[in-house]
Amino acid sequence: MNKLAKRAWFAYFLAAAMLVGVLVIVVRYVVNGPDWMPFQNDGVIVDRSGTVLMDNTDGRTLADDATVRASMLQILGDNEGYITPYLLNEYGDELAGFNRISGTRHMGGGEGRMTLTLSAYVQRAALNALNGQHGTVGVYNYKTGEILCMVSSPTYDPWTVPDVAGNPEQYNGVYVNRFLHSAYAPGSTFKLVTAAAALERISDIEDRTFYCEGSARIGSETVICNGVHGTISFRQALCQSCNVAFAQIADELGADVLTNYAERFGITDSLSFDGFITKKGNFDLSEATAYEAAWAGVGQYTDQINPCQYMTFLGAIANGGQAATPYLVDKVTFGSKTKYEAKTEMGDKILSASAADTLAEMMHYNVVNNYGEWYFSGLYAGAKSGTAERGEGLTSNALLTGFVQSEDYPLAFVVVIEGGGAGSTACTPVIRQVLDACVVAMGS
Amino acid sequence: MLPDFFETLNSYFQTDGRGFAEVFCAVWCYLAPVLGVLILWRCAKPLLRFRREPETWAWLVMPDGQQLPVTHWENIIGRGRGCDIVVNLSTVSRNHAVLTRYDDGSWSLTDIGSRGAVSVNGKTVDICALQYGDVISLGGVEMVLAPTTAEEVEEQKYYRTRPAAIASPGLTLTILTVFQLLTALQFWMNGKEDAISTVVLGFMAVIGLEWLLFMALKIMRRSSFEVETLAFFLSTIGLSVIASSAPTEVTKQLICIAGGIFIYLVIGWSMRDLNRAKRFRYLAAVAGLLLLAANLVLGREINGAKNWIQIGSMSFQPSELVKLCFLYVGASTMDRIVTKRNMLSFIIYSAAICGCLALMNDFGTALIFFVALVVICLMRSGSFSALALLGTVVCCGVLLLLVIDIPPHVLRRFSTWGHAWEDPLNGGYDQVKAMTCIASGGLFGLGAGNGAFRYYVMAADTDYVFAFVCEEWGLILGLLPVLAIILLGVFVARSAAIGRSSFYTIGACAAVAIMMTQTILNVFGTMDILPMTGVTFPFVSNGGSSMLSSWGLLAFIKAADTRQNASFAVRTAKAEEVEPYE
Repeated sequence: MNKLAKRAWFAYFLAAAMLVGVLVIVVRYVVNGPDWMPFQNDGVIVDRSGTVLMDNTDGRTLADDATVRASMLQILGDNEGYITPYLLNEYGDELAGFNRISGTRHMGGGEGRMTLTLSAYVQRAALNALNGQHGTVGVYNYKTGEILCMVSSPTYDPWTVPDVAGNPEQYNGVYVNRFLHSAYAPGSTFKLVTAAAALERISDIEDRTFYCEGSARIGSETVICNGVHGTISFRQALCQSCNVAFAQIADELGADVLTNYAERFGITDSLSFDGFITKKGNFDLSEATAYEAAWAGVGQYTDQINPCQYMTFLGAIANGGQAATPYLVDKVTFGSKTKYEAKTEMGDKILSASAADTLAEMMHYNVVNNYGEWYFSGLYAGAKSGTAERGEGLTSNALLTGFVQSEDYPLAFVVVIEGGGAGSTACTPVIRQVLDACVVAMGS
Repeated sequence: MLPDFFETLNSYFQTDGRGFAEVFCAVWCYLAPVLGVLILWRCAKPLLRFRREPETWAWLVMPDGQQLPVTHWENIIGRGRGCDIVVNLSTVSRNHAVLTRYDDGSWSLTDIGSRGAVSVNGKTVDICALQYGDVISLGGVEMVLAPTTAEEVEEQKYYRTRPAAIASPGLTLTILTVFQLLTALQFWMNGKEDAISTVVLGFMAVIGLEWLLFMALKIMRRSSFEVETLAFFLSTIGLSVIASSAPTEVTKQLICIAGGIFIYLVIGWSMRDLNRAKRFRYLAAVAGLLLLAANLVLGREINGAKNWIQIGSMSFQPSELVKLCFLYVGASTMDRIVTKRNMLSFIIYSAAICGCLALMNDFGTALIFFVALVVICLMRSGSFSALALLGTVVCCGVLLLLVIDIPPHVLRRFSTWGHAWEDPLNGGYDQVKAMTCIASGGLFGLGAGNGAFRYYVMAADTDYVFAFVCEEWGLILGLLPVLAIILLGVFVARSAAIGRSSFYTIGACAAVAIMMTQTILNVFGTMDILPMTGVTFPFVSNGGSSMLSSWGLLAFIKAADTRQNASFAVRTAKAEEVEPYE
């Protein structure tokens, strides 16, 4: 029996294992409890001015306006479950009024209410401005981080679901939030990265001149320019988007410095906010020749940017080298309790103030001398367009990135129109409507 | 008539009486865990605090006059350090003989394959009844069996029967009854109108069953009711789960609780007398094989595992009852454990069971049997048979893994294990929903009948019942059943040291190992701490076969209870109080 008694110790071991397991469960509940509560169809979601975007109190209803509903599709999700509502899942516990003591049981009742920084008015304007073209528009306040506008096209009104599978061309990538979860070739907008690096690394860059005869040899191959610019200054090179000048600057900076700056500006990183994780861009010169590195500095080669992340880079240029991290949720309340309240978080200082200010001023020069101030609601704006080739037989993607420097409207923006052709031509009418709407939305 | 009354009152609580119902539910959600903790604590105290110092049943007087205490009913005498009575002389074998005491106070001596042979009063014997004063010779070393004195008997009796050893089980059962009445009341107030009378009457029936059993055991002069109270507590929570998820199955579950109690009493009665128990073993062995054979012939395949038999509208899982048969065959008295023939027959029997299970393709059940087999082998393996047995176990395990064609849904569970939240819509769906519902319940729950988990997950009231309980009753009460099973495990481990017979100890250890393993797999599978294997939580999960086997396992655990008048499986103290022979 002594032997048996000793061997019965296994029961103590099992009991101890179970106790450890119970402890693990309790610890996980305390630590992760809120994360266990994704969106459970609770609460009301409103925009910055209180316009209802989604109401789950009695079944689900959405915004009254069909265009607003369509503009929110990739953010709030569809009814069929093809789109994960990351935002709602992130705040599922707050919307359900969860706390660790009483779970979601509420003696006094109450209701979750989430206020977004978005403006339904701007959303509507942006989607109308895109006018069915595929692409994305994003605008945010680089001083506070509030995202005012984030639309992705194609989209549809979730109340009248179209035949997506039957029209693959028309609804290509309709479930993807292009602003957050896609990456585009930046085209000439990437010259901002090279210019910023040059302003910090090449002391006399502003006094330099370059000679463009339509092409230039870098390494063993030839960089082609969009025109013949002759002798051209740094400022003019950005304004005219001269490939030859920027290829030479990139070549001078070298692959390591360029990579260093691309990483510092966050091109290859993702942003995380409100349950979203943005897609990473790409800037990889590890196997690039001198020609390819120079070509990358002009925004070609394998470069890719994520629109949302790149928008913060524009914010940093406008804001002396440092911009706020974007966010979408202003606050979440349950009954009379505030469950979550956004705080402005400043990103890293990625650029010296002098380089940022010089670049910002150069971009304003672009607006005045190239794009036209008329397109920017009469505000002090800076911008850089891009035209990114997509390969044989396809019209190029049009991009416009920029900012408004104004006490009342500190906004950075990114517009992408897939197959839009020339960047500035396609995008400037869109940004004009969006900025007009922003002025109205922020004024009210 | 009565159902009408129930329904009328139910609709009153839904309308004019709503305010009262809400206040009641708000109070009850906090009161329920308090009562639960109280019940568990009152059961835990006596189970964890009983006296378990060795008792001396006789003395062995050595040639030099030294007296060795005989502290068990089954004692191995030998030179080995692990023996109960160590005689460290070179002519004595490592494990020489077994000295056994019986219910009536008589003794016997069995040679267990010693080199030096055993003789009593000069005659060489294999097995021999022993009287006090007989001269025993082990390999030439002579000793005499001497009785304990009247004083020693009195002292031991005092310790065994002192009042503090057993806390009033009637009061604990009364608290449980209050718990059950209030649960029924909450269903009455909040429940859906259909089947409300079935649910309320169901709880009344459980109350009736537990008091009937309590009275019956009282009449048999049994004074402890802790393990039964725990079982009824868990069954009550299980009943509330069914009342919420499938009210029409309440009656079925009740019948199975009653059936379980019957099995519990039959097994208990069979083990009251070790000779009867040994006869029962053969019956159990045959029954186990027949059940599995019937399963293989008549069985229906559900989810890739062929472990169900359909009889009329009832479906039934024979493998649950085979667990009990397996324990019966695995348990053995000390004088037989160490003989080779017995080992061989057990090994052959295990192999037959494993073969059937492999054919049935039921991964969860196979795992449970494997654990039971390992524990039985661990307990039985003496010094020389250890190798053979453990070898068999490993072979069986490998064989199972090789032969069982793990169904794709099980493989998928393994592949998502630990990553449920990375795949919340497919592989991890059930676990993610389980955790969401647990969080939703908080510490005190949404109230019995108010959960949503049952709408999301198919096996909500069986494989994922832990989440079900947590959502409706809260995390505190959800963890109490787990703690109750832990309590049974510790109790069995503590009892092993003073077990009357290795038969009881092996049976109890294997039974509690099965319960603990099932609980571990069920709870930690739900929480994505372990892969989901789809086994039931003893007493709590919805399932008739599982309920029957849970009560059967409880009988094995109860049989290990050696406290005075505690277990019906051990005879009343009359024989123990017999006057010392002089």
